[in-house]
Amino acid sequence: MLLVFLTLCVVLITLDFRSDDGGILEGAKDVTAAVVEPVQRGFTAIFRPIGNIFSSIGELGSLRSENKELRAELAILRERSTQAEGVLDENAHLRELVELDEPWAAMDRVAAEITSKVPSNYQWAYTIGKGAADGIEEDMTVVNADGLVGKIFDVQENSATVLLLIDPRGAAGAKLEGKRYSGTISGNGADEPLSLEFIGVDIPVEPGDIVQTSYLGGSIFPPNIPIGFVSTVEGDSANPEQRVEVQPDVDFTRLDFVYVLLESGPNLEDSK
Amino acid sequence: MDAVKTRRPNILAELGFTHGFSIAVILVIALALQSTLLARVTILGVIPQILLVVIVSLAYLRGERIGIVCGFFGGLMQDLLLTDSIVGLYAMVYLLIGFAAGSFRKYAPAESVWMPVFVVAAASAVAEISYATLNIIMGQRWVSLIFTLKVASLVVLYNTLLTPFVFPLVRRIADRFSPEKVHRW
Repeated sequence: MLLVFLTLCVVLITLDFRSDDGGILEGAKDVTAAVVEPVQRGFTAIFRPIGNIFSSIGELGSLRSENKELRAELAILRERSTQAEGVLDENAHLRELVELDEPWAAMDRVAAEITSKVPSNYQWAYTIGKGAADGIEEDMTVVNADGLVGKIFDVQENSATVLLLIDPRGAAGAKLEGKRYSGTISGNGADEPLSLEFIGVDIPVEPGDIVQTSYLGGSIFPPNIPIGFVSTVEGDSANPEQRVEVQPDVDFTRLDFVYVLLESGPNLEDSK
Repeated sequence: MDAVKTRRPNILAELGFTHGFSIAVILVIALALQSTLLARVTILGVIPQILLVVIVSLAYLRGERIGIVCGFFGGLMQDLLLTDSIVGLYAMVYLLIGFAAGSFRKYAPAESVWMPVFVVAAASAVAEISYATLNIIMGQRWVSLIFTLKVASLVVLYNTLLTPFVFPLVRRIADRFSPEKVHRW
């Protein structure tokens, strides 16, 4: 019996290696997701308040003063937002005139709730509760209020998988804000900084430099989305072995909602 | 899944329909917990592998044949939920673990409280290390060795901590739906 099942495993592994896309395994994946997902959704709905209680017990004392500060901040932000609306309108108009691409902040987006995480310690991907039915396609950009979260990896009818920026299997084109140097940024797993590799040597990078997405380096992301800031620079800038670490802006352990940019991904490719 | 089971009527008979179904439900619930609640309540960012704890508990309670079946289908489900990984790897690792834990039962003192905890700890260590090794051998893109060791040791710790809660629960459910009446006094 042991041998029968072991052989079955080897057959599965071979099948997986042989078929690049689709096939029986793709169908099996959909079936498994369909069976497990309702349970996951239920658990997410039940346990979200519990998770929040855990994280907020320590914050009870500071809540009142924080509330006051936030109200003051809100008043300032309201005023700024009114001003910004005018500027955005003007900006959109001017962009149309000079035929520039639409900036990411103005793209149509879909808000989606995170329903579960991929159950592995070596993969950083979340399932969201929106899918093809809401216009989501593979390779679309996923952001939240803080910056770049990742990209759409796999789409079902009513759910989709987001590959996070911290997953080592993903990489994004990146640049330093204000400086014109490009490179690629890739993840190293949870709680680890991202690594930034530049194209070329002798780049004057310093801790604190702001990192954003860039078109260069074959990136699928729209440019200028915040990624993080340079935390440490190891080695000489003339040395090609230079190591640059970037602290991401997004807190990947506390994601509840994300936005999918509908005009990114395949649609962005078309417009280029 | 059904095709395999019908070809071996003896294991199907051993399991019984309600028993088999209840085990399937336990495995699905474990996997769903692992990807929702436990993915939030982590130790230093590491998720416990509660599915493995359940598989080892079932194998330890019911023997190596159940261990193989649970390990295979449980591992396969986990494989199928992952993104872009080799399907069949978790199935293979978990079925071997299930077989080993089930076989080990004969040598363990019957009512020892510590034995399940020890078995889960050992099984977690072996599972984590062999899954990582297999991935690296097969040329998958992998995180650094230090990261792997950190994750593996935290999984062992977390799984071990969960066992005193998970094992008695699994035993109660497994006993209730067991085909042969188990007497305890």
